[in-house]
Formats: sequence, C-alpha cells, structure tokens
Amino acid sequence: MFSVTKITIRRLVLISTITTLASLALMIASILAPGPLLLVVAMSLGQFFGTASLVLYLLAIVLDLQGYGEHDEFGSLD
Amino acid sequence: MLKIDSTEQLLRVAALVSAVIAVLILIWYLLVRPPLGRSTKIVLLFGLGVMPLATSLAGNISGFEYTLQRSFCGSCHVMLPYTQDAADPTSHSLAAIHSRNRAFGEESCYTCHADYQMFGTMTTKLNGLRHLYYYITEYANTGPYGEGGKPIHMYKPFQNAMCTRCHSTEAPRWGKVDDHAAALDDIRKGDTKCIDCHSGEVIHPRAFAHGGNGRAPARTASNAAPAGAAKE
Repeated sequence: MFSVTKITIRRLVLISTITTLASLALMIASILAPGPLLLVVAMSLGQFFGTASLVLYLLAIVLDLQGYGEHDEFGSLD
Repeated sequence: MLKIDSTEQLLRVAALVSAVIAVLILIWYLLVRPPLGRSTKIVLLFGLGVMPLATSLAGNISGFEYTLQRSFCGSCHVMLPYTQDAADPTSHSLAAIHSRNRAFGEESCYTCHADYQMFGTMTTKLNGLRHLYYYITEYANTGPYGEGGKPIHMYKPFQNAMCTRCHSTEAPRWGKVDDHAAALDDIRKGDTKCIDCHSGEVIHPRAFAHGGNGRAPARTASNAAPAGAAKE
C-alpha cells in the first residue's frame, strides 16, 4: 500500500512548484506576445496546470497538517 | 518610460507583476529548499496560489480585451486584406469608414461581427476557436494574403441587426434614400438584407480585389453568390 512520508509531501510541493512555473511561463508569454494560439494555450493548458498545481499543493498541506509521515524513518523535515 | 493608456494595459502590467512575484517566490523555494514550516507554507501559498490566480485573472481579462482589437484579427495573415483596408485612412470602403468612427475604432471587426444576443460573447469566442482551428489546418501555409486557400466565409449570414444597432431605420436622412423607403418593412423584418445592396465588395473591397483566399481578382460567376451568402 502507498504510504505517505515527509518525502512524499515535499515531492508534491516540488512538482506543484515546477508545474506552476510552467503555467506561469505560458501566461507570461501570452501577455508579452499575445497571438491567437498562445492565448488559447495559456488560457487552457496554462490554467489547467496552474489549477492542478494548486490542488497538489493544498493536498500536500492537508497531508502535512494531518501528521502524515511524522514518524517515518526520515524523521521531521521541518 | 512605461505608459499605461487603457484598462487592458493596466491589467497586463498587473498580471506581469504578480507573475514575477510568483516566479521569484518559487525560484527562491527551489534554490533554498527551506523546511516546510508555517512561514514557508504561507509564502508558498502566495507563490503557488494567490499570485498565479491574480496573474490568471488579470491575464484572462486583458487577453479577452486584446482579442477584441483589429490587430488581433490581423494576426492571422489571411485577414490582412480585411484589416489593412479597415485601417487605411484613405480607403472609402464601408469597413474603413466605420473604423474611422470612434464608436468602432480599433475594435471595428468585433463591433460589426460579434453576436449580440444572450451569450453572444461566448458564441463569438467559440467561433474564434473555430477560426483558429481552420487557420491552422487549412490556411497556415497559404500566400501572404491567403492566396491558395479556400474562400473565407462567415459561419452564418450577416444579420441586419448588426447594422440596425446604429442605423435604426428611424432617421429621416436614412429614410430619404429611395431604396430604404421602398424596402423599409422588409429591412426591419430581415427579409431584405442590408448586404443585399451594401455587399462584401463595398465593405471589404481589398479582400475581393487582390485575388487572395482563392478568390478571382474580378467578380466571376463563382463568387457572384447572393449577397446574403457573401463571405467576408
């Protein structure tokens, strides 16, 4: 069974961070060079990735607040 | 010096500023990798949530505003015969005359071609997505003015309501035109279309004259369709 550790939580935050950077790059590009294709991609894919990354981050926070991984072998990473 | 002349530009700046703040926070996290304590979580909430949401919101609104502009329509090269003529201060086409009116201005394409019924903005934007699809699949490799591509056409006939929003058919000067007076009821009912007389060649002459978009340079039997089905 999949067990949630502190490492898992940190990985979730890391994935969320990288995904947000990608979506921000799309949004910035569509603002600086607004073409039809770029606008559509930024408003669809960019916002999908942005929303997904926020959900991942909130999931990580909820898992962390519920105390997942506090007693794993890595100990506290805080 | 940065000059902000419109709400759209202000929103673009706001979107960029919030995006830069978010990027700085995220890069800081990736470089420093601090422990996930309370303060880090709050800072990350700004970097992953608040600032990207602000960027998205401001970017969306400014993006939608930008899509109303004639320059956006002209960003697909097949539209250049239409947009260049509309922007030409010496042109006497209907599109150019209307574009010189401040009520139309830089948004003249959208003002005349948008749907105005309930959800009209949404249907117009969805049609815009269809434009993009057809542009990529059928017109991307055509000539500078779309030569070699299929004739461009509207998805549905141009409605009198687009004209009568401003030309109410009530003005005495308008009614003095014999053809207007003779067909008044039919025009109001939509049985006689404005573009039956004010046809595509009068509205967008350059698009009809240059031979692009698969059109013949001169009017021929193939493009002499009824004005109600005129494609512009």
